[in-house]
Amino acid sequence: MLNIENLHCQVETQEGEEKPILKGLSLNVPAGEVHAIMGPNGSGKSTLSYVLTGRDGYEVTQGSMVFEGADLSELEPEERAAAGLYLSFQYPVEIPGVPTITFLKEALNAQRTARGEDEVTAPEFMKLIREKAKQLGVSMDMLKRPVNVGFSGGEKKRMEILQALVLEPKFMILDETDSGLDIDALKTVSEGVNALRAPERGMLVITHYQRLLDHITPDVVHIMANGKIVKSGGPELAKELEAEGYDKYLGEAA
Amino acid sequence: MTATLTHTPAEQALIDALEGATGWRAQLREATRREGLPTRRHELWKWSDLRRAANDVTAPGRITVTGLDTPITDGARIELCVAATAGASAADAELVIPAGAKVTLIERYSAEAGALANWHLGITLEAGARLDRVIIATDTGDSAFIASAEIVLAPEAHLHQRALDFGGRLSRIETHVTHPGEGAEVDLGGVYLLDQGRHADSTSVVHHTGPGGVTKQLVKGAAAAKGHGVFQGKFMVDRAAQQTDARMTHRAMMLDDRAEIDAKPELEIYADDVQCAHGNALGALDETALFYMRQRGIPAVRARALLIESFLAEPLDAIADETLREDLKAQLRTRLEALS
Repeated sequence: MLNIENLHCQVETQEGEEKPILKGLSLNVPAGEVHAIMGPNGSGKSTLSYVLTGRDGYEVTQGSMVFEGADLSELEPEERAAAGLYLSFQYPVEIPGVPTITFLKEALNAQRTARGEDEVTAPEFMKLIREKAKQLGVSMDMLKRPVNVGFSGGEKKRMEILQALVLEPKFMILDETDSGLDIDALKTVSEGVNALRAPERGMLVITHYQRLLDHITPDVVHIMANGKIVKSGGPELAKELEAEGYDKYLGEAA
Repeated sequence: MTATLTHTPAEQALIDALEGATGWRAQLREATRREGLPTRRHELWKWSDLRRAANDVTAPGRITVTGLDTPITDGARIELCVAATAGASAADAELVIPAGAKVTLIERYSAEAGALANWHLGITLEAGARLDRVIIATDTGDSAFIASAEIVLAPEAHLHQRALDFGGRLSRIETHVTHPGEGAEVDLGGVYLLDQGRHADSTSVVHHTGPGGVTKQLVKGAAAAKGHGVFQGKFMVDRAAQQTDARMTHRAMMLDDRAEIDAKPELEIYADDVQCAHGNALGALDETALFYMRQRGIPAVRARALLIESFLAEPLDAIADETLREDLKAQLRTRLEALS
């Protein structure tokens, strides 16, 4: 479903210099599977999530990223979204003045229009969002508030998952979804993610800690260091990392 | 010794148009005859060069004002349409809002290409009167349109003003308020949104002359490439105006590196026991928010429009009349979608 081959990516720093971050990363995530990427800070995990979704300033210099046969580097961010790529942000962005409900309806209908599907009507949308909000324990009152404004870290992450439940993407990238969550919020969010697991959907779970993987069991765990995957294995690899740390992989990658 | 001023064709046209005028229009005629149209050399016009903006005006024009016959009574809704043809013209009117009356005043400005239009209102608010003034300057595109108002409040009077300005070759909304304090309140707000080549100028002076006055001002703007926004706000607080509470905020967004926004917030305070503040912030569109919206599937153009709208709409949210508020916000939205 998602095929990344020898991907090199550089990022423009604040000083205006080009800094290589991804240095030959290869990864295949078939439909129906959940892959976890674990790695120390600075290994390029977030860069991977941004280059896949097309953020400005993340430039592919070599290699390829193909999603269901389409070359992602040819698509604008909104086209990638309409193709089914969804990023749950590590730091969800506040948008003052735009109510969450308006934002989500706008996003859903923009994606549907881009795919040549009919827009959902206002009543249909309200029914949909009520149902999904209930599933995640989000109040309608919260949905009327501007996107992420004044929400706690946990609430923001919950909203990211709610948005995914409404948009029903084909592929989800969860970037440090566990950061800022207490144990109850972690459970709720994980349940939301698990509800989205499906044979036709792929997921990439990016995390620093093993904690999240106790709740969302991955099919494959990859260890990332210095811009590439240095080891892949089953869920037991996450446990090993938790016990032994990243040190030995940092040496291998250098 | 006085040097003889050679008038530009626009100045001569305005002088001719005001032949035999009285009152404010006679003053305008005399000022134009003596000093010409204001240029950047005049401190109050340093970012808005009217002489240059009117350089293609060669003949007198006509300005018509409808709605002035509406009786000003409690609950009245006065809707003035101020329409200028090409050429130089000026019109003015005096309004008195009777004691205790609550009145809504809507002014819609329109001008043909090549107009140099001057519109002036003298407004007196008697004790306890409330005026909601809404200025809609969305149709003055290729003209120079100067709207000025001299507003005098009595104690306990409330002035609530909102303006929506899409600019013109030069659009200036000038508001002078005499604020006596003693229970009187002033709330001035405005929004400008400027496409390529448009110029809007929001200039205001609130003169606090008595104790305990409350003044709020929030002006927000956005300018695209080669759009030019000007904000000049001044609060004067006399020695007698102790315990004045006056807050001024101007926030603007440059939508392109080639946009220009100039701001001069000023406080001139002679009383020692006051709370006065001014804030001025210029920024650009939040690129992170833009990416977030696009990642959710919202096309870039639409995402930009939504972000700018959410930034600009705040002053309009305070318009009490719901139909009017929604009308202005709809105009803002339509304009944003057409923004180049």
